[in-house]
Amino acid sequence: MTLKLFTLLLEAALKTLGISLVSIAIGFVIAMLLSAAIQSGKSIYLLPARLFISFFRGVPLLVQLLLIYTLLPVIGINVPGIVAAIVGLSLCTAAYQAENLRGGFASVPRGLVEAADVAGFNGIQTFLRIRAPIALRLTFPALVNEAIMILKASSLVSVVGIIEITKMAQDLASSTYMPIPIFASAALIYFVINSAIALLGGYAEKSLKGASA
Amino acid sequence: MLKRKLMKAVAAGALLLATSLSAHAEDVLAKAKAAGVLKVGTETAFAPFDFIDAGEHKGLNVDFFEALGKDLGVKIEWVELPWDSVLPSLEAGKFDVVAGPATITKARIARYRMSAPVAEASVAILKKAGDSSITKPEDIAGKAVGVGKATAQLAQLQEYSATLSEKVNVREYVSFNDAYADLAAGRVVAVANSLPNIAFVAKQRNGMFEVVTPAFGKKTYFGFIGTKDDDHKALLDYIDNEIIAMKKDGRLGKLQEKWFGTTFDTPDSVPDPAF
Repeated sequence: MTLKLFTLLLEAALKTLGISLVSIAIGFVIAMLLSAAIQSGKSIYLLPARLFISFFRGVPLLVQLLLIYTLLPVIGINVPGIVAAIVGLSLCTAAYQAENLRGGFASVPRGLVEAADVAGFNGIQTFLRIRAPIALRLTFPALVNEAIMILKASSLVSVVGIIEITKMAQDLASSTYMPIPIFASAALIYFVINSAIALLGGYAEKSLKGASA
Repeated sequence: MLKRKLMKAVAAGALLLATSLSAHAEDVLAKAKAAGVLKVGTETAFAPFDFIDAGEHKGLNVDFFEALGKDLGVKIEWVELPWDSVLPSLEAGKFDVVAGPATITKARIARYRMSAPVAEASVAILKKAGDSSITKPEDIAGKAVGVGKATAQLAQLQEYSATLSEKVNVREYVSFNDAYADLAAGRVVAVANSLPNIAFVAKQRNGMFEVVTPAFGKKTYFGFIGTKDDDHKALLDYIDNEIIAMKKDGRLGKLQEKWFGTTFDTPDSVPDPAF
């Protein structure tokens, strides 16, 4: 295992990290929109949101990626591999994050919402200022967990031509015939990245708790 | 009101689709020249045609398309995918042509435009060095043999297996590299693949593997793959001419010598594959 091989793995790790973080962020925004749609209680918003969640939770990510990559060109949208990867991961994680958030929204004390109502908040204000912050605080550990899951699931994006850590490790292992040090290094890189996410998540969780007091 | 909005949305969608379709109906060769880039799809687990050598993309395909790009005045952009999604992505227009290469078969020329042959593709057996239980192809009867998924080699192996006294236990792998790894680990006793490929593997992993000759099945050839539509015709004609020109001026022979250690006498076209 030479330094050159390890550097190649690290370069691939940057791709994994970049794609995952962008997808988690986009997914979070979509998940919030989905939550708003569900919390609105109006079936014109509620039903599409439910359909979205059950589709992207119910179809394997691998199939979603292949669909986005090879089906969209049929209707004239030819996206490059990197876009297909980010879109696939974002939509998938959005569905899971929305489900996590649903638990949080369900736990928002009724009294707070009623108080906001009495204080003259409209629906959007109540959502942005009362419900969403509380739901987010309650489901933050689940969000960190989801970030780690997506980072690991990003190994699937090699099917749309992205050379991330796992694919790079496979390529290197088959050309150098040293599978053990290469896959062990790949595992180590994943572990370090995910430990960092967990650590940062724990820190953020603590500071959120302080804010709620 | 809502209905009118909906109609508008549908009309806009149809317009978008129509414009993108008409943008698509353009000669691919002319487009590649104008953009200065030819997109080539491939799988990088098919040494010595296409493989990653310590992070570097190498092989006969890389050398060939480099030369073609120089003659055409374009840069080559590689799109690397697992083999089973290469052909679907070609049809989806993700790239202009597939390097691969793929064995020229009846089933493939029915659906795709195959280029002039670049090498022989007849299938033979790779075994562990010193394995005395396999000395000729028919010795694989009843044994576990690895082969790549969705490949012509798999189809040839299955056909050959049916002619043997006992069926071969065929194991399909996502890539041939995984099959070689399992041969090294003893999970299969042999790997069936085209001669140029296994000769290269045996040479590279000196003392680990051995090629069992002769090849079994029918004589077949490797070619590059494109789609049959009019947009791609000029590009694939160009590639055919380039292969035949490189064969005549000896450049193809040199590439074969470099990557296979031997040269092949290939025909200019395979209108009626044996397989």
